[in-house]
Amino acid sequence: MNDGSVLRLNNVSVALRRGRGDMVPLLDQICLTVNQGEMTALVGESGSGKTLTSSAIIRLLPRNARVSGQIWLGNTDLLRLPHGEMRKIRGRDIGMVFQNPLAALNPSVRVGAQIREAYRLHTGESDHAAWVRACELFDEVGIANAKKRLGDYPHQFSGGMRQRAMIAMALACSPKLLIADEPTSGLDAILTRQILSLLTRLRHEFRMGVLFITHDLSIVQKYADQVHVLYAGRSVEWGSSEAFFNAPRHPYSRALLGALPGPGQIRLTAISGALPDPEAMPLGCRFAPRCAYHKAECDWCYPKIDNKGTTSVACGRVEDIVSVHPPKGMPSPQYFRSANDGAVILKIEGLGVDYRLPARGILTALTGGKNSIRVLDDIDLTLRYGECLGIVGESGSGKSTLGRAILQMVPYDGSVIVDGIAFGRMTRSRRKMMRRRIQVVFQDPRESLNPRMRIGDIVAEPLRLAGEREYREQVRRLLDRVGLHARILDKFPHAISGGQAQRVAIARALAAKPAVIVLDEPTSSLDVSTQAALLNLLKDLGHQDGLSYILISHDVAAISYIADTIAVLRSGRLIEVGATAALLAVPGAEYTRQLLAASFLYGKKGTVQLAVAPNSGSMGIPS
Amino acid sequence: MSGTTTPSFRPIGGRVRRAIFSGVAESLGERGTLTAGTVLATLVVSFCLLGPIFCRASPYAIHVGDAYYPPSSQFFLGTDQIGRDELARLIAGGYTTLAVSIPAAILAFIVGTVFGFSAGLGPIWLDKVLMRVLDAVLALPALILLIFFASLLTPSSFQLILLLGLTSWPGLARLVRNEAIAQRGRDFVHASRQCGGGTFHIAWTHLLPVIAPVLVFNGTFLVGDQILALSALSFLGLGIQPPEASWGGLLQAGLNLVVVDPWWMIVPAGVMIFLSIAATNLIGQGILTRSEEAV
Repeated sequence: MNDGSVLRLNNVSVALRRGRGDMVPLLDQICLTVNQGEMTALVGESGSGKTLTSSAIIRLLPRNARVSGQIWLGNTDLLRLPHGEMRKIRGRDIGMVFQNPLAALNPSVRVGAQIREAYRLHTGESDHAAWVRACELFDEVGIANAKKRLGDYPHQFSGGMRQRAMIAMALACSPKLLIADEPTSGLDAILTRQILSLLTRLRHEFRMGVLFITHDLSIVQKYADQVHVLYAGRSVEWGSSEAFFNAPRHPYSRALLGALPGPGQIRLTAISGALPDPEAMPLGCRFAPRCAYHKAECDWCYPKIDNKGTTSVACGRVEDIVSVHPPKGMPSPQYFRSANDGAVILKIEGLGVDYRLPARGILTALTGGKNSIRVLDDIDLTLRYGECLGIVGESGSGKSTLGRAILQMVPYDGSVIVDGIAFGRMTRSRRKMMRRRIQVVFQDPRESLNPRMRIGDIVAEPLRLAGEREYREQVRRLLDRVGLHARILDKFPHAISGGQAQRVAIARALAAKPAVIVLDEPTSSLDVSTQAALLNLLKDLGHQDGLSYILISHDVAAISYIADTIAVLRSGRLIEVGATAALLAVPGAEYTRQLLAASFLYGKKGTVQLAVAPNSGSMGIPS
Repeated sequence: MSGTTTPSFRPIGGRVRRAIFSGVAESLGERGTLTAGTVLATLVVSFCLLGPIFCRASPYAIHVGDAYYPPSSQFFLGTDQIGRDELARLIAGGYTTLAVSIPAAILAFIVGTVFGFSAGLGPIWLDKVLMRVLDAVLALPALILLIFFASLLTPSSFQLILLLGLTSWPGLARLVRNEAIAQRGRDFVHASRQCGGGTFHIAWTHLLPVIAPVLVFNGTFLVGDQILALSALSFLGLGIQPPEASWGGLLQAGLNLVVVDPWWMIVPAGVMIFLSIAATNLIGQGILTRSEEAV
């Protein structure tokens, strides 16, 4: 095969044997190509089979898995290679970069030694040659002061640096193919952009094919040449990135793109329902149960593959769809504002938080050594009734700590004033009453629900604590308000989906009749389609019921969709505060500009145009 | 799941014994373990409670002429050195053993749980004080402590319950305290605090259900521990006093008569001790696996 492809998957299917039972098909006839020097993005939500595909390529599947089809790496079919040969190929011809570099790097071995090992294992070069190579690689991936950093341990590297080190390791033997499995999902927007630019530069330089696996469509557009969308173990659409983003053809791709939040959008398209259970896959098109264009034949006909358009699609109805106008989500509700509009509900003045370091011995204490770090300093913010205040910042900027200080979970100085009353010296019961006015929704919806309590009891807890007896009807109403059916009342948290769990957490927060809800990364553990539905819900609740939020997130796109005001936080200080539209159009601070540039990688039509072109500006971020 | 989410199911003390039983549990399967334990426990308890209905002989009646009879159709388990019916004594001994060790286990369970929660959820100074108290108690081996107290006062059943119960809680207390500390930082606890939940509310509605499997698991083991400790004390002559029968006492009586080698005086009591401990351990293991399954 000399058509320039590095990797070619031909009808690859994977099935897992469950216990003594039947085979559960997880991947169904995947055909995928990665060309030399190009990046193919494999996109899908959790459970779609992305990681399984990459494991199949490097043949590190669980033992109970059965693979069929062909995986061509150049002219060899990897599935037919003996184990010993395959081992040589891993690391030499195929480099791997994983999502969590801290888990993939050995914490007790110096980074330099790990890179040298990767090199020597396949080349048999001398230790010195390996060291020289490691220095080269560190320069290549942009780690300054390479000779010194090679002697460091993984924990001495920052998140972005670790990912660079992982990439250096994967590149050690100049592989033909690099598989990057969600390499940026733990990183913030600016780092994500840096890593992606790095991968782009490297693949051009080394003429290497990159298989980039991600759940995040928004970062794909600028960097990938090919896009391949998976849904429930099947390819639904594939083709060139440009054509795909210009005119996605499959209903699922269209819905996914419609679900990406951005500023100035009236409403996101949410996909109803959930991924099908692998043991009970729909007979026909797997997306049929959730499809807006669903027809009876979709239920039992294997979707026809259409190669005629700009992209290839596995959908029988694609011709009808393209002519139809893109699906409308729910109609936008009529928003109104109440008379309380504009009243200040929460005021933060001169707030600062010190993080106390563990005691460091008598000598430091006597010599007056500092044993605390100021993680937040001099924060002034105002939240008005019915408003949503978004707080953005990269990881480590102190945004979560700010949320915790507002919630009275950590000691702070300065003042937090709710309804005109400042927290301070007060009786215990009064303090409890005050705290109830500020409710919280956490990032991990499962962590925030007690696994041993039924949903009904979880939502009822704030009501019972307030001494209410007749709460059953109220619980029903609350669940209804967050879009959940009363069927869920008697279930335990493990029996519901992540999106549902997050709605339950919101219902519980609402039950306490709060003035303010602090949302700490409420959507970042959810899939794109679920996230869209949740953001819509938050927007509705805010506008209809005059709820006030503080939304903390690293995701500028999500924040800009619902926030009225955005505050940018960096290293514990406020960089900039402003009305969303104004701040996006004319960012004042240089840092805000960089953050925005890195965040809106997916340019959606009909949205507010940014003052900065997403591709401009050098990324001179000091590390 | 992050590190703090699953409670650490570390059983307290007696590691080898526990390892053996978790092996048995594995081969019995999830449901089998609990069933086997329950059946065994029912058998042991009904033997002790309903035994007197079928075995009419008195455990105290002395017939010197009938001494040292091996098992026969007249005396199912033979007789002892002064002609008392061994089966009747085994039944009576079982009753007294259970009547002391089960209340003692409940006492230790309550003390340990309350102590652990107070240390884990109370203010820092309380935690420090309580943990030092606990260290002090743990520093002295429970059995030595028991022997010391039991030799000071020839104890009644009630005093034995207090003695056993008040010396065996520290392991559970430390476990509960550590679990409470691990769980109190979880988001749902914060959420509960935010809507006005006090310390008692959090302990009762949030932490107790979450660590219940660990509690039940170790609670059932506590029963086994008490049976063993009581038998050891009685064996040493410090526990249940003659003429009252107990399994430990029966063992001792049999072993003292090595010359005659009356196996029928030793084996049945040993078997009963073994079976009752096996029952509690299997139940504990069974409940644990079942609740792990549920979440």
